Amino acid sequence: MTIATLSRRTLLQAGGTLLASTALPTFAIAQGAGNRLIVAADSEPKNLNPAIVASNGVFFSASKVVEPLAEASFDGKDGLAPRLATSWEGSADGKSVTFKLREGVKWHDGKPFTSADVAYSALNIWKPLQNLGRLVFANLEAVDTPDATTAVFKFSKPTPLQLIRNALPVVSSVVPKHLYEGTDIATNPANVKLVGTGPFKLTEYKPGEYYRLTRNADYWGKGEPKLDEIIFRVLPDRAGAGAALEAEEIQLAAFSAVPLTDLARISKVPGIKVISKGYEALTYQLVVEINHRRKELADVKVRQAIAHAIDKKFVVDTIFLGYAAASTGPVPKNAPEFYDASVPTYAFDTAKANALLDEAGYKKGANGTRFSLKLRPAPYFNETKQFGDYLRQALAAVGIDAQLINADSAAHQKAVYTDHDFDLAIGPPVFRGDPAISTTILVRSGIPAGVPFSNQGGYENKELDGIIAKAAETVDTAARTELYKQFQKIVATDLPLINVAEWGFITVARDTVQNVSNNPRWAVSNWSDTALKS
Amino acid sequence: MRLLRDLVRTPEGAIGLGILAALMLVALFAPVLSPGDPLRITGRALLPPFTDPAFPLGTDRLGRDVLAGILHGTHTSLAVGLAAALAAIAIGLCVGLTAGFAGGLVDEGLMRVVDAFQIVPSFLLALAFVSVIGASVPVVVLAIALGAWADPARLTRAQVLSIRERDYVASARVIGMHPAEIAFREILPNALPPVLALSAIIVAAAILTEAALSFLGLGDPNVVTWGSMIAEGRNILRSSPSLSIFPGIALVVTVVGVYLFSEGLTKALSSRRLEP
Repeated sequence: MTIATLSRRTLLQAGGTLLASTALPTFAIAQGAGNRLIVAADSEPKNLNPAIVASNGVFFSASKVVEPLAEASFDGKDGLAPRLATSWEGSADGKSVTFKLREGVKWHDGKPFTSADVAYSALNIWKPLQNLGRLVFANLEAVDTPDATTAVFKFSKPTPLQLIRNALPVVSSVVPKHLYEGTDIATNPANVKLVGTGPFKLTEYKPGEYYRLTRNADYWGKGEPKLDEIIFRVLPDRAGAGAALEAEEIQLAAFSAVPLTDLARISKVPGIKVISKGYEALTYQLVVEINHRRKELADVKVRQAIAHAIDKKFVVDTIFLGYAAASTGPVPKNAPEFYDASVPTYAFDTAKANALLDEAGYKKGANGTRFSLKLRPAPYFNETKQFGDYLRQALAAVGIDAQLINADSAAHQKAVYTDHDFDLAIGPPVFRGDPAISTTILVRSGIPAGVPFSNQGGYENKELDGIIAKAAETVDTAARTELYKQFQKIVATDLPLINVAEWGFITVARDTVQNVSNNPRWAVSNWSDTALKS
Repeated sequence: MRLLRDLVRTPEGAIGLGILAALMLVALFAPVLSPGDPLRITGRALLPPFTDPAFPLGTDRLGRDVLAGILHGTHTSLAVGLAAALAAIAIGLCVGLTAGFAGGLVDEGLMRVVDAFQIVPSFLLALAFVSVIGASVPVVVLAIALGAWADPARLTRAQVLSIRERDYVASARVIGMHPAEIAFREILPNALPPVLALSAIIVAAAILTEAALSFLGLGDPNVVTWGSMIAEGRNILRSSPSLSIFPGIALVVTVVGVYLFSEGLTKALSSRRLEP
């Protein structure tokens, strides 16, 4: 008997150690439960309300619960698919937009969804509180609700419908008025215990472990959602996601949770697929930010020389392992509506870079160096740091001595965007579907110090500022697009910053997951048609 | 000289000294063995080791020569390790000597400061120091020294406390020698040997701390270090383990060398003290 007890105790202890060492919740019936999708999540945002925080980290889980008026689409009209709104129309003067809303939609708590919710969200949350809504709805004055399924947005100044359309998937998450009205919105408990109209309800959140999303049986989409449950399992270690996929502990890892360097290997594992589609509307741009206060860098010849010194092919092939594209200008190719290829380009040419620097009057000194620069690579991605290492070497080849300075995120942002303590910085800004709310911020003048991810390099170009201001008020889509084409030409000619490459994320999934990456912001869309093949 | 002879006579001392001498040579001649910036991109990325005679240990993610990195890394590691240990021992000796010799309130005060530094884990102290001030070689040296000076300070104080009661110190006092002269000419030389034996351990710890700081991205990004090489290799550990293994081996060899040297030194010193 003693022996039996002893061995059982040992076994239990060993089991306990094993559990503690992995420290992961085990979903014992993971495979048997049929329609449960388990996804790797790498962060746990404090505020889960996408109407307030329009960021990918929040959208990743919250977009399944709280829906926008429209979602991005590969083949829909204007690149949109209807969600809570079924149609939208702008007036000729650009001062009003009319949304027709979907009928028969219910909140997760059973109350009906009406135009009052949209009006409340727009005026009380999107415009005053949301990081991006502030820009898009800056001139929003009122939202009229003639009936329960119509919302008319009234603007004090012309606001282009093109901009609103492009921003809709990101800025228009609707939250229930009946839970927010009369409360302090920022601290409302519904910011964590989300109540939405989406295909899934947030039913459980265990900090450090997982989010459980359960099927919404009353969802307006016919036959949707197809999954019974989605588990977002928190796996902060990037190396862990690949192993968890191989062990079938998770079925999907989005947002490049599996590092680029591991993709070649994991793509050969049977039952696993690597997908680079589905991030077209979430394009990151690799940008060299320039401090124009430095005398040398204020000279356009020096900036052109730096552009010629960078081998974009090396950056794409070696740093991004081919999962990126070389940039030509400030608008990525993934935005075909605006993209203009006919801009000046800078081929990799060390001799020409050297000649330009000589011409600018910065001859090589006795030690082969022309001048010295402070280079600050952003620490957010491995790739930005590696590009920093590369850029230092590329500049050394043309006689510019770049001294790297590494810092954590907070110190980097303070040094670059508040203190301007940099000569060159490497940043990964996001292209958000419309130049008015993304790339123009990096070159426009007059932005106060301290605004992160904006033009803090002291660059000022009146002509460019004029075009940006005019485009912000131009209602006619064709004329507005033409203005942004001019904008691209000027930026590519004058080089207030240097666009090097653009990239999206990678999804790695098991073969059983279906309908993956079927829209341009798939990872942050509602997944109502995602299914599991048994 | 006799110390050196004693040292070489112990097997640990001989091996340790041999390894350290070899590493010193590599560090000194790294610019000759592989000229130019070791962080230069020179070849195709991720060349496996032992395939191309131009890159005997292969290349890393960006196409930098791994061998060049290891050779130049020796210089960084040894320089930082020695400088940090030197700084730590200098501070420790001064503080310990002052505390032990002065006694009283000065002793109490200084020892409480030493306590404070001993309580905080030295690696955390270095981490905080570097992340606040910014990473560069002198800052890293200072950060490591800050966490390492407390031990030699305590040891020196204990030595001084015992030595200052000896007869020859009393006679020096009687003949009217200046207290500072007594401290530096009579007490310090005799308090030094055990502290020196400790120094080798401090060097080894300093080399490891420097590698750990670089591994966490808090080293100077403009010089190559073994820690940063291991950190960069970590991302592709499963496909190219050699990128982390080679600098790891270099680190192990160095630290083992320093430890053996320290063992030998301790033995040599104790055998010398046993002699009349």
